[in-house]
Amino acid sequence: MKTIANKLDRSSVITRKKRGFFRNIVRHKTLLFMCTPAILFFFAFSYMPLPGIYVAFVKYNYRGGIFGSKFVGFDNFKFLYTSGKLFDLTRNTILYNLAFIILGNLVAVFMAILLNELRAKYFKKVSQTMMFLPYFISHVLVGLLVYNLLNYDYGFVNSVLTNLGLERWGPYSNAKVWPVLIVLIQLWKDTGYSSIVYFAAIMNVDSEIIESARVDGANGFQKIRYIILPSLKPTVIILLLFAMGGIVRGNFGLFYNIIGTNPMLYRTTDIIETYVYRATMTDFNFSTASAVGFYQSIIGFAMVMICNYVVKKIEPDYSLF
Amino acid sequence: MKKFFALLLVILMMVSMAACGKSKDGDTDTTNKTGNKKSDSGKTDDSDTGAIDTSEHVVITYMTTGDKPTNGATEEVMVELNKILKEKVNAELEIYYIGWTDYLSNYNLTLAQMDGTVDLVGTASDWLDAWPNAKNGAFLELSEDMLKTYAPKTWAQVPTENWEMSKYNGEIYLMPEDNFAQWINHGFIYRMDWAKEAGLTNGAHTWDDMTTYFAYVKEAYPNVIPWNSDGSHNIQLASGWMASHTNFLPIDGITAGGLYGGSRDDLYTVWSPFYEGPELVEFAKLMKKWDDIGVWKTDVLNNTGVDNREEMYLGQTSADQHHTETWYGTVEPEMRKRYDIDTGFFYFGEESSNVVSLNITHGAMAISAASKNPERALMVYDLIRNDEECYRLFNYGLQGKQYDLDENGYRIQPEGYNNDTDAITINYWWGRNDDLELKDGKRNHEAYEKLQEEYDKVKMTYPYGQFVAEVSSIQAQINNINEIHTNYMSQIAYGKYNGSAEDIVAEYRAALKQAGFEDVVNELQTQVNDLYK
Repeated sequence: MKTIANKLDRSSVITRKKRGFFRNIVRHKTLLFMCTPAILFFFAFSYMPLPGIYVAFVKYNYRGGIFGSKFVGFDNFKFLYTSGKLFDLTRNTILYNLAFIILGNLVAVFMAILLNELRAKYFKKVSQTMMFLPYFISHVLVGLLVYNLLNYDYGFVNSVLTNLGLERWGPYSNAKVWPVLIVLIQLWKDTGYSSIVYFAAIMNVDSEIIESARVDGANGFQKIRYIILPSLKPTVIILLLFAMGGIVRGNFGLFYNIIGTNPMLYRTTDIIETYVYRATMTDFNFSTASAVGFYQSIIGFAMVMICNYVVKKIEPDYSLF
Repeated sequence: MKKFFALLLVILMMVSMAACGKSKDGDTDTTNKTGNKKSDSGKTDDSDTGAIDTSEHVVITYMTTGDKPTNGATEEVMVELNKILKEKVNAELEIYYIGWTDYLSNYNLTLAQMDGTVDLVGTASDWLDAWPNAKNGAFLELSEDMLKTYAPKTWAQVPTENWEMSKYNGEIYLMPEDNFAQWINHGFIYRMDWAKEAGLTNGAHTWDDMTTYFAYVKEAYPNVIPWNSDGSHNIQLASGWMASHTNFLPIDGITAGGLYGGSRDDLYTVWSPFYEGPELVEFAKLMKKWDDIGVWKTDVLNNTGVDNREEMYLGQTSADQHHTETWYGTVEPEMRKRYDIDTGFFYFGEESSNVVSLNITHGAMAISAASKNPERALMVYDLIRNDEECYRLFNYGLQGKQYDLDENGYRIQPEGYNNDTDAITINYWWGRNDDLELKDGKRNHEAYEKLQEEYDKVKMTYPYGQFVAEVSSIQAQINNINEIHTNYMSQIAYGKYNGSAEDIVAEYRAALKQAGFEDVVNELQTQVNDLYK
């Protein structure tokens, strides 16, 4: 990998001045060939459907198809901004996602470092697997699990509380506790998975550097502080930038299965996806759904551009483009 | 390097645009094809009426809601049915099931595919989006010629005024199940033995009686949840209350749960008791009381996945909220079998005699616009609706295995019948026919007929059968109103609100106003005026 990268660097330096499109193709044919699957993938699943955005601006008719239906301009967006909830929904969605991204990454890095420091091989494997398992549980089951833990009359938590002679706790009628609960559930579910990425990045740190640090007399904490954390920085930033693109896209499965259709909790738990689902369930309209998707994409795009710009200003090496 | 990738990207984009341009051509092709097909069928009509060409063997797919059965009995019945169909119209029938989980979304998605997956489509104007699908172009327009040629018996059976109610924009889209008497007005099914213990010797006939009943059950049987609702009956309950306390007549198919309507004495003035009047506050108060009594679980709004009816059979809950048919056809015989007790039924609107008979398009058959053999599909439908042999097979299964006839000609379960291994799932609710129906021997027909008479005395025919609202200009408002209505009704109908009943109702009405409630009233009023005045 290194040699290819070096070659690429050198060749682009040499040919920076004048070259044509086709010369470029010939020159990088091996690299391009290796990229082909990815290019094809994104072409088929990300670029080909792009013209379909047009569906957000028509009144969709099954027989007419996307381009044969009547153009209606921004009518499909109307229900979003006339609901008067667009701001609240976007805010909820963004705040939850920020919490997921920031806390999620912090905990994942923390866990990855802990795993790295573990010496007992089997304990390490077992704990890694245990952390990973919740990732495979579907949201439907998570929703059921949470309900059976927390419900007022028969929930596990309340059985314990009443047996200890304490007051019952009714989270399903208290909107305030859910931001904390949902973030906790999400962390429980996803930390195992994301910590693997960081764990892999730590494994990639040149052992010579760690070796020499130890020779220089660095203790365990210093090793983490001065070597491992800085070498994780690029990974963290790239993952953050990727996550920014989806910051207005909520995790429908998580919210819908845990909160369901309990309006007492909507104030703090309603995100764009769940609102749109409920509002458009009765009219089954591709166009309004696409309009919402389009709105989310635009904001996501803006977020990526802004964050990338900021990163570039601070540390040009870490920016995506 | 950057420029190079930018160029690559641009090229990719252009290719993808071109690719989609092509698919657009493809779309027009299919529309042309359907166009041609229609003129083809027209041609057949002209040239050889009477001698329909069925030389080609075709498979007709019938789409219905319901979970696909796994016991193999349905397939056995279909083999027998297909023998007859092959002989009579050289076709065979397959069933395409839309499972109950998220049935409405999957139902609509299947129709939207428009690839000829399905031919006959079971549909309903009040619970399966028949009109929105007709408007979206999912259903084939059925010309009178087509119906007369390919479904002559159905054409003759359905009276002209009922065909009128199956039209949108002057075209027939639905073949209504209009010759089948059933009552699907909702209410509470309760146990008569407990009602009597509670002092309701005559059964429960008002909402206050229900309060007495629930309060008694809660106290006398602490392990029984009076009504273990799954939290989804919000609008149902609220509408039931309105039927009992106002003369409101909701119009189907505009918003979730008939928020708009007229009234019994003034059919064509659009209003809503949810938006004005004191009834909603009264309702909110009573439901708060029910919540305090403990009629349902504290976390009822998250209590999904509970099977209330099964719990009633097991004696764990004391009431079920459903309609007359379910009560009489399902719950009543089952409770009699298990406990040898009577059940009672308090129907919404009982106190005020406000009962509306069924809209004929509550069950109807449509033909998918993408069907490759619409003519043959019609012929098959004509048989399963009007041919006695086909009808019995399709509705009841094999005689001697799924059903038998007793000396009175009533339909009974044959000896050795096992519901797990022998039951069939056809879910044919789109063309049942009283001329061919076999009376169910499980039922107590005398009592049922008495109830029907009672209904017939007070009933009012659904008056808005011909009204299909054109909602595209107010769709945005309706989306938001649906959302508000469902949210607040969940809280009000389960007493799960903070503050006073007056406050929550005022808040709900303010939200409706904000969302454009009055725009919708005005628009509907205009359309109602155009049609009826």
